[in-house]
Amino acid sequence: MVGPQYDLVGNPLGAVRSTFERTAAAAAAESGERDPVAAFRGKDWGACELFRSFLFEEDGLDKVPVLNASNLGLIKPNTLVRYRGMVQDMLGNEYYIGAFKDGSTWRTNKFTDFSPFSMPHPCDSHLWERHLFHCVPAPGQNSWTLDSSPGPDVRRMSGCLATELREKRKRDGDNDDMDVSENGHEESSSQCKKPKEEDVHVSSSSTEMAEGVSEMNGGDHHIPGSSFSCLVKVYDMPDSQVKLNDVIEFIGVYTFDPELAAPSDNPDDIMLDLIEDVTVQLPPSKVPRLHCLVWRKLSPHDFISRPPVVEPSPSILKGIRQSLLSHLTMVLGNDELAAQCLLLHLLSRLRNRVDVVTVGRLSLNFIGFNRESASIFGNQLCSLIQKLVPYSQAIPMSIEYLNTATLQPRKDNKSGRLVTGVLQLPQGSHLTFDETFLQTGSLTSKGVENTMLLKNLMESQKVDYDFEYYKLDMATDVQLLTLSEGKSNILPSDLVVPFRPSSVPTISAGSEELESWRWYLATVRSLPQSTEPETYQIIQDEMVNAMRDDRSLGCSELSRWLTMAQITASSFGEKSLSLEHWQMVKELERLRKLRLQ
Amino acid sequence: MASNGGGSSTPSASSPDGRPSSPLPVTNSSPPQSTRRTGGRRRRGSASPYASSPSLGGFETPPHPSRRTPSGAGAGAARQQRQNWTGRFPPTPSTPMSTDDIPPSSEAGDDETDGIGAGIDTVPVFVWGTNISVQDVNAAILRFLRHFRDPRDAGRVDPVMDEGKYMRAIHRILELEGAETLDVDAHDVFDHDPDLYSKMVRYPLEVLAIFDIVLMELVGRFEPFFEKHIQTRIYNLKSSICLRNLNPSDIERMVSIKGMIIRCSSVIPELKEAVFRCLVCGFYSDPVMVDRGRVTEPHICQKEQCKATNSMTLVHNRCRFADKQIIKLQETPDEIPEGGTPHTVSVLMHDKLVDAGKPGDRVEITGIYRAMSIRVGPTQRTVKSIFKTYIDCLHIKKTDKSRLHVEDTMDIDSSDANKSTEEDFLNDKVEKLKELSKLPDIYDRLTRSLAPNIWELDDVKRGLLCQLFGGNPLRLPSGASFRGDINILLVGDPGTSKSQLLQYMHKLSPRGIYTSGRGSSAVGLTAYVTKDPETGETVLESGALVLSDKGVCCIDEFDKMSDNARSMLHEVMEQQTVSIAKAGIIASLNARTSVLACANPTESRYNPRLSVIDNIHLAPTLLSRFDLIYLILDKADEQTDRRLAKHIVSLHFENPNLEELEVLDLPTLVAYISYARKYIQPQLSDEAAEELTRGYVEMRKRGNSPGSRKKVITATARQIESLIRLSEALARMRFSEVVEVRDVVEAFRLLEVAMQQSATDHATGTIDMDLIMTGISASERQRRENLVAATRNLIMEKMQLGGPSMRMSELLEEMRKQSSMEILLHDLRGALGTLMTEGAVVIQGDNVKRV
Repeated sequence: MVGPQYDLVGNPLGAVRSTFERTAAAAAAESGERDPVAAFRGKDWGACELFRSFLFEEDGLDKVPVLNASNLGLIKPNTLVRYRGMVQDMLGNEYYIGAFKDGSTWRTNKFTDFSPFSMPHPCDSHLWERHLFHCVPAPGQNSWTLDSSPGPDVRRMSGCLATELREKRKRDGDNDDMDVSENGHEESSSQCKKPKEEDVHVSSSSTEMAEGVSEMNGGDHHIPGSSFSCLVKVYDMPDSQVKLNDVIEFIGVYTFDPELAAPSDNPDDIMLDLIEDVTVQLPPSKVPRLHCLVWRKLSPHDFISRPPVVEPSPSILKGIRQSLLSHLTMVLGNDELAAQCLLLHLLSRLRNRVDVVTVGRLSLNFIGFNRESASIFGNQLCSLIQKLVPYSQAIPMSIEYLNTATLQPRKDNKSGRLVTGVLQLPQGSHLTFDETFLQTGSLTSKGVENTMLLKNLMESQKVDYDFEYYKLDMATDVQLLTLSEGKSNILPSDLVVPFRPSSVPTISAGSEELESWRWYLATVRSLPQSTEPETYQIIQDEMVNAMRDDRSLGCSELSRWLTMAQITASSFGEKSLSLEHWQMVKELERLRKLRLQ
Repeated sequence: MASNGGGSSTPSASSPDGRPSSPLPVTNSSPPQSTRRTGGRRRRGSASPYASSPSLGGFETPPHPSRRTPSGAGAGAARQQRQNWTGRFPPTPSTPMSTDDIPPSSEAGDDETDGIGAGIDTVPVFVWGTNISVQDVNAAILRFLRHFRDPRDAGRVDPVMDEGKYMRAIHRILELEGAETLDVDAHDVFDHDPDLYSKMVRYPLEVLAIFDIVLMELVGRFEPFFEKHIQTRIYNLKSSICLRNLNPSDIERMVSIKGMIIRCSSVIPELKEAVFRCLVCGFYSDPVMVDRGRVTEPHICQKEQCKATNSMTLVHNRCRFADKQIIKLQETPDEIPEGGTPHTVSVLMHDKLVDAGKPGDRVEITGIYRAMSIRVGPTQRTVKSIFKTYIDCLHIKKTDKSRLHVEDTMDIDSSDANKSTEEDFLNDKVEKLKELSKLPDIYDRLTRSLAPNIWELDDVKRGLLCQLFGGNPLRLPSGASFRGDINILLVGDPGTSKSQLLQYMHKLSPRGIYTSGRGSSAVGLTAYVTKDPETGETVLESGALVLSDKGVCCIDEFDKMSDNARSMLHEVMEQQTVSIAKAGIIASLNARTSVLACANPTESRYNPRLSVIDNIHLAPTLLSRFDLIYLILDKADEQTDRRLAKHIVSLHFENPNLEELEVLDLPTLVAYISYARKYIQPQLSDEAAEELTRGYVEMRKRGNSPGSRKKVITATARQIESLIRLSEALARMRFSEVVEVRDVVEAFRLLEVAMQQSATDHATGTIDMDLIMTGISASERQRRENLVAATRNLIMEKMQLGGPSMRMSELLEEMRKQSSMEILLHDLRGALGTLMTEGAVVIQGDNVKRV
């Protein structure tokens, strides 16, 4: 259906309203009832469809600017924007007057905070609900992902410029830490203010850490404005479609209401304090609102800017595998064994979870590092990983870090918000721990807690979120790489590989190669696996034989072998595991064990 | 404009402003004495700047003259509140309320619901906007209160019981004169009149207001001078809603939700009646009622002589306040879907409900879901299109905290008091559990359900199951008590998923505590005394064992625990108490825990040539306190290897071909165990007792097998106690009140399996309890005796009394020449040690001298 051609980018609400009024009028004419819009609760009347077809079928996506910290002041309110972020907290539902009768016409407030028409006082109205998500840029998001789908340059889009706002925003934007909310709260009751100060404290300490991290990574680890967050209001979404820590692209109406920014200065109204919803702490002057029309979850594939058009055929994948492997070997100082293990590690993902057993993860521990070699190879390795995977972080493990860092996300029941921790990560993140920083020393209780968290993450891919009265397990899928001198006991990895470099890496990869490698990693990781029942039998026999030869083999080793064999199969682009891959893994294991002795 | 306790509000009567005020509006009009003399008075003193005013004596005010009758005010306020919701606004402002006993109504020309037909007739009085006929509801409630009889009382023919359940309750209130609330079970309402129930849930404000009126009328008939107001509190709705599923259509309905209190506000005094004083002449105005959170300050002094304008000021300590509190309720962890964060909702508590729950409590709240518009700013008249929601609380019930409802079986006399918690176990759930228990293969099914991802180890799992179910503790009149808890030790090679089993048990068991031996100290396990840094008082703090009272305490890496810490376990494992005598505190704490410990062999891998004692290096005294000791050995066995391989492969491929065994999921298993632990107290049947005796005698006999000279103890009194516990646990698994012969047989089998592994003397192949009790098997003891005798003979032969000493190595060579046995230096040294204690020889370094 093509209605009057509205400027969907410049005036999305116009399109929303016109479709609504048209549909409502039609419904009213059809049924003759007084309540024609009741059916629209929790449903789309065609507006979202209109946008979806505009965005994805008419290539409108490229015309929609991407909202980020740098252009926050430049985009005009009530225009269509895109925002990519991780769902950091779910703030529950919000009720609003979805539709009301203005005279004889039904009007809607959907996709906006403010009614453009004044609502007549006694009027028929309907209460609808929407979900609130607090979104932040995905932690550890690497800079290459930003180039993948750039919107039009906002500065050149004169139509979207909001000059009158620019000055104000610049001032506000100076200190745009998401947890700090000075404007909205200067005047609020002291009872309410206390927790906020704690928040600031916590978040600043974690940013300090993050700075330390980014230094190690050569500075470009944290994308600029990473503390920039957004309050996304999502409509008509069935429950639990979006999960915490999902990375999602929201396309919707960016709103800014100066009236909402006005601080509520009725401090004697104590009771409102508790009924007050958490959005108050996210003043609109700092945290933009986005009324989402269309959203989609982002997979690593979506970050690749120029995906090769070809189908992933084994021959192509094999070629890329070879080039990636040789590059990894170079970066690792000509240590091919380590490079192979690293490749498997980078391709691993959590495939299954049975009770407490996780299948498919492959955490890697390179041993034999000291401070110097870690600084040479570690930095090379980290910067390469940064260029290969969408989200990665490198953490220098030191006693001080363990004792001070906030790893665990924690619910602050006073403010009603989830205070993020280092371990609140999107699925598929990569973490590198450099344990060479670790010296002897004593851990505080917080340090012990942090090590327990890390160990739990390593062993069961779960992070305990602290909800004050209870802990909640959140399933994660994080690749963990540890660099250490000896085998790390704090972070017990699946695979321990002694690192034996023979040269110093000096190469860097071209951008085209990087592109293909990223595509390779994303493709192989999502490759489905299907194995014939005959193979099961062969593998089982192989395992029994292996156990006969070596009594020390346990469930975990064999399980790891199988994981490695499966990843090896995928790495060649094969959909099913064959004996050949099993043998390759066995050979790899043999070489590894030789080194361990 | 006077300040008011409720907050800011614009005077617009028809604003969509659902003020958070009492859910039961009648509290507004409750006689002043009651509240004033209690909470209101206290607060007034502190809140008011006039507290020390000289005219304090004059504040004993009589009830003010303009008091409305409870009924009129109640219904009126109810109607007013009704207008404040969901954004459906009446076309005209409401008319002033009537003060007679018939609650006001509007003409039913309303568009909502199905009340169109009823609206034509003007005779019945309808609540505005509904199809509720006031008279009908009135009569229905009266019928309910008068005639509802608890079906549970039906059997009784007591003439006193002739009255309905709630009439009795009302009489009780009148007699006691204390309670101001009447708790009404919504199930009772439903049973009596489903129509009334549905009306009540759909239009709670109106129906509850009428409920209160009827109640007060009823009370008035019994006792005309009863002045307190009695509130109706509804609880136990038919269906409780998940916090997450609250949606706009629930607004203004009665809902029942479960959750956890995460935060409480301080108590807020809310102004109910305001009194003003003229600053010019000192005239006190009549109390002004607070109307929807606002009071109107009189502009002119009402005293004829004065008539000063704008001279009235609020007199805080003559005003009447009510308590109010807001709590935040959060979803309980089990209701949160995967990958979600818990939702919260604000709950408004009034009067008696204030401080009824503390943060951390799990509660079930019955209340009215309300929405309130957000004002943009105090100066702005515009109302945002966004609403805030909260629940006006009617009733709060604390629900059980723990996952397993285990009231200990030891407190037998408390079983009567726990009737209310019995209701927690929903009847149909219990039925389901009972059905399960009747399955013929329930024992195997339970075994499979326990840690299903750990394959094999079936007998170990059976033992662990017994531990979860537990035996019956016994307390003799003489004071002696026998524990019902079963202690288990798992010893095994590394990588045999012992720790995983432990983790699983810890998850399953009530008050499960998981500690690691390496990190546990003696006090950390038992209890310790500290000095409070602030007050200097000595405080007793419980350790893991005390905390897991009535639960399972899982101790991983038992072998790596310090000896000191381990020795503390002696008392716990048999006496089930922890005694403390320190720093002025002498206490004996209950620690009725089952201990589940797991240990690695000393040489990290089990050495089959050594005894269990040598392998685990635990004190035999402690070892004997374990009912079952399992050796989990990694044996080379093609069959197990194959099964392991199959298991791993199936994990990786999600092979659909693999047989799906029927297992109970974790919650069901937990419920099953908790139900059994709580309600099933099996007793030994005569046959079972006989079997027990027979088996025990047989076990002991086995040691005296003909042919073997030595007497081997294969069973001790400790074993028979263990057997009783095990068979009781086995009976519990079937929900059987009687321990049958088959339970005893299975218990023997379990014990034997465990003993065969741990107490088998490797030299002879027989079961030898001495191994466990003393650490030395009978055959070993025999061997040592022989060696001592041989050594003595040799020394008598070769050495002279007081003669030159002999080197030990020489002695050893001599011995080897004589004896066919292989003798080690270590053995010889032991034998010589025995001789030295006898006074036959003296050992100096490496030299032996006969004396």
